[in-house]
Amino acid sequence: MSKNIAIRVSLKKYSLESVRYAAHSLGGLAYALIKPLPGGRVLVDLSPRPGSGAAAGLAERFRRELEDEKLRERVSSANRELREFLLLKALNYRPKPPEKDDSGLTPQQEKELNDLIAQIEGEIKAETAKGASADPLGITSTWEEKYDSKNGRKKNR
Amino acid sequence: MTQRTAAKKTGKPRVAGLPYFTFRRMADGSVLLSNDAGFSAALSKADFARFSSGRLGAGEALYGELAAKGFVREMTDFESYAAACSKKNAFLGAGPGLHILVMTLRCNHKCLYCQSGALGAAGARTDMSAATARKCVDFALKSTNPGITIEFQGGEPLLNWKTLKDTALYARRRGGELNREVRLALVSNFSLMSEEKARFLVENEVSVCTSLDGPADLHNKNRIFTGGNSHADTVKWLGYFAARAAKQVPEYKTFNPSALLTVSKYSLGREKEIVDEYVRRGLADIFVRPLAPIGYARNLWPRIGYSAEEFARFYRNTLDYILELNAAGKKIKERHAVIMLEKIVNGGDPGYLDMRCPCGAAVGQVAYNYNGDLYTCDEGRMVGWEGDDLFRIGNVLKDSYRKVMLAPASRACAAASNLEAQPQCSRCVYKPYCGVCPVYNYETQGSLWGDMPASGRCALSLGMFDALFGLLKKPASAGILKGWVQK
Repeated sequence: MSKNIAIRVSLKKYSLESVRYAAHSLGGLAYALIKPLPGGRVLVDLSPRPGSGAAAGLAERFRRELEDEKLRERVSSANRELREFLLLKALNYRPKPPEKDDSGLTPQQEKELNDLIAQIEGEIKAETAKGASADPLGITSTWEEKYDSKNGRKKNR
Repeated sequence: MTQRTAAKKTGKPRVAGLPYFTFRRMADGSVLLSNDAGFSAALSKADFARFSSGRLGAGEALYGELAAKGFVREMTDFESYAAACSKKNAFLGAGPGLHILVMTLRCNHKCLYCQSGALGAAGARTDMSAATARKCVDFALKSTNPGITIEFQGGEPLLNWKTLKDTALYARRRGGELNREVRLALVSNFSLMSEEKARFLVENEVSVCTSLDGPADLHNKNRIFTGGNSHADTVKWLGYFAARAAKQVPEYKTFNPSALLTVSKYSLGREKEIVDEYVRRGLADIFVRPLAPIGYARNLWPRIGYSAEEFARFYRNTLDYILELNAAGKKIKERHAVIMLEKIVNGGDPGYLDMRCPCGAAVGQVAYNYNGDLYTCDEGRMVGWEGDDLFRIGNVLKDSYRKVMLAPASRACAAASNLEAQPQCSRCVYKPYCGVCPVYNYETQGSLWGDMPASGRCALSLGMFDALFGLLKKPASAGILKGWVQK
């Protein structure tokens, strides 16, 4: 006798992605098979795992998960770009140095300095772009390559 | 304009106005939120409904609390949010800090739950040579991590004392010459400890850690030692090292000894006795660690294993009792909780390699087998000993640091333990504090990737986090727990 639970879901109300996530979240309790149905619907066929004793309440739990997944998906898609921006900012984060009141430079000197910084930054950006995909965090570098062990060698002499 | 008025105007919930967050509906009906910066907030069901539909008023106290934690999009302070994200992920790119040297595979114990593939005490075929051990130290010093830990493990590492001693001295010397911070640690059952060895360890600032599974009967049931009384040896030397630590001398720093508790089926229901044993031995903390059905423990799982629910109950009971003792003025902490609280309360990285994203495999730790073979971690090394070298990332005598870091297993583990790519984890409220273990996944589910909804480790972690966040909601227990990680 089949103890499978069949739930019909309208894809007008929920995205297929939400349906997948909701079904996956029950993966410890049941196997899920999602089949397309006519009329923009899908059938979620939940087959309880042996020994999970989860058949009762499974449909209700799936419905609850589906509602939550709908919210998660909307929050996630609405914030994708902002999130990427913030995480990129975090990866490159450097604490701001304390601001100085007066640089002691004339406006002309400040402009020259800013031009120089912009030029160097451009060069660094170009260099970084070349090797960006290789090893941006320097994971393959040794201590000597990353920090230069001159201090240590001096000590040895 | 408040969210409340905006919602009224359009007649639709302003979900698009919410920042990114994850959430979990808790057993008591409340809803826990977290975000990428590691902030969390517990809301009542009604408040969560108002929050998630954009009906929370700007004048409300809850609005202010959520705004301060980055849960109000319009009020997000990008600079502090990025700073918090950066702080909790500071380990990225730091290089491996933990270097586990397997001094020998021999052991004089036959613990029920052993994963390490230990052999009997006789014969020295699997002892690490002094030359190989020195190469291991040189390799470890190539790591870009500013402070490395060299951990002597086994088997029982004291069975290869001569090499251990030589390696400790070499590591101290090289660390000094290179001006590097080198921490030395020993994990031992203490059964072969002697006054002379103990003195050497103390004088060379080698911290010591052992296993203590509770009172004598329980400890000896789990940790079978035909050559004597395991519990008696353990507590004798715990006492010795604690006494030495209590009498610091100016020449060197003496560390307090520490102990690990491995929970077997026999431990269930004996939470108070176990904690009392730790208190009796003067230990400052207890590290409650669940069993994993891998290695030797897998074959004995029906006899010594338990369900995730049983472990969660054990963990919660243990924590409750520890908090009770704390309230009565006794100083003892649960180390798993301390690790998690460091992340939850302080937003820091406690350096716990098993619970981070990506996991510590290769990028956070390297395990060095007796013959110089390198593995992603000690668990990966144990899988290798069972005949499957999937987690082998090189050999210290042959391979360069770069080659090891770029080894297929190093990269595969980093990819497989990226929670952002795990369908369940990416949406889990505990994501900022958690981590998956590719070795556990491989051993229990046959893939590095694993299937989290059906994973026993995931269920165990959920139980522990639920217990901790449940206690953090109660002012009395929250005060004690936060005190454990107060700077």
